[in-house]
Amino acid sequence: MRSQILTGLASAIALLIAPIAGHAAEGTRVQVTGEIIDTWCYYSGVMGSPDAVVGSAHHTCALWCSAGGIPVGLLAEDGTVYMVLKVGDDTETAGGDTILNLAAHTVEADGMLYERDGLKYLVVSEVVSDMDITNVNHDDFGNVPPFSIPDPNK
Amino acid sequence: MKHLIACLALIASPLAAQDFSEGSEARSWNLYAEVPAKFDAQVVDVLCTLTGDCPEDCGAGKRQLGLVRSADDVLVLPMKNSQPAFTGAAVELAPFCGQQVTVDGLMIDDPELGANNVYLLQTIKVADADKIKANQWTKVWAKTYPEAKGKGPWFRRDPRIKEIIATEGYLGLGLEVDQAFIADNF
Repeated sequence: MRSQILTGLASAIALLIAPIAGHAAEGTRVQVTGEIIDTWCYYSGVMGSPDAVVGSAHHTCALWCSAGGIPVGLLAEDGTVYMVLKVGDDTETAGGDTILNLAAHTVEADGMLYERDGLKYLVVSEVVSDMDITNVNHDDFGNVPPFSIPDPNK
Repeated sequence: MKHLIACLALIASPLAAQDFSEGSEARSWNLYAEVPAKFDAQVVDVLCTLTGDCPEDCGAGKRQLGLVRSADDVLVLPMKNSQPAFTGAAVELAPFCGQQVTVDGLMIDDPELGANNVYLLQTIKVADADKIKANQWTKVWAKTYPEAKGKGPWFRRDPRIKEIIATEGYLGLGLEVDQAFIADNF
């Protein structure tokens, strides 16, 4: 009985140690379809609800944030957000041209998925399909934020 | 047996939820999920940490950088610098690639939305040096685009953004869609 308890405790210790020692998770090959989003506005709520900070309503702000070096995410159809770390050979996901030109586009991406500390990270080996903007939501939300389109009367 | 249980408790303690708000002087942004957080960490290149693709300079501000928190080895992703100007944190952290720093700012904690261990960076401190504000992004941008000098915020003057809007429109659906929307809403 005592040896069984000791074995159980040793297993528990091993389980607890594992997440501490493991720095790099194994990558998993995935294909994901979703919208290239501005993750700061999506997570922080600073500009409104999650539904309002995507799509055509938020296109200009998504450009600003991507050019500003804010992490870009791929929002999958099931609501999962994948932080994009690389697209093809381009590692410049903090303000780079490749990711900027995909702002608010829906894409099908093939790549490697890494998970660490509650976030999913995606290394995109290939954008299989770029469907441009498919989430046409500006009639529902207007332009978000409202100053994203300069007032032509001022 | 007692020794084993004590050992188990010691190992388990770092995994329990920790409060990093003690000593934080972070300024509130009035975000519903913000939590002040000051902690020691190593500045890392996230792509390097996960995949082993590691340039010496962590990408010089062009790759997304992370903070591996000393207390619990958690990889925190800084998404924002301290400027209210649509600007990220990689440029602020790039000079400290690989170094141990103390950062202060706001964690955004909204697990329901998937916001785990994401951060708004306000200050950076290295060893005994004075802490510095994480507000260099617009200065770096101004040096990169001297031809865009002028009035108004950077995002109205950025050549790349202006080029995309000139062809795709503010809504990204073409100039005709923009014209109709503006006529109806302004």
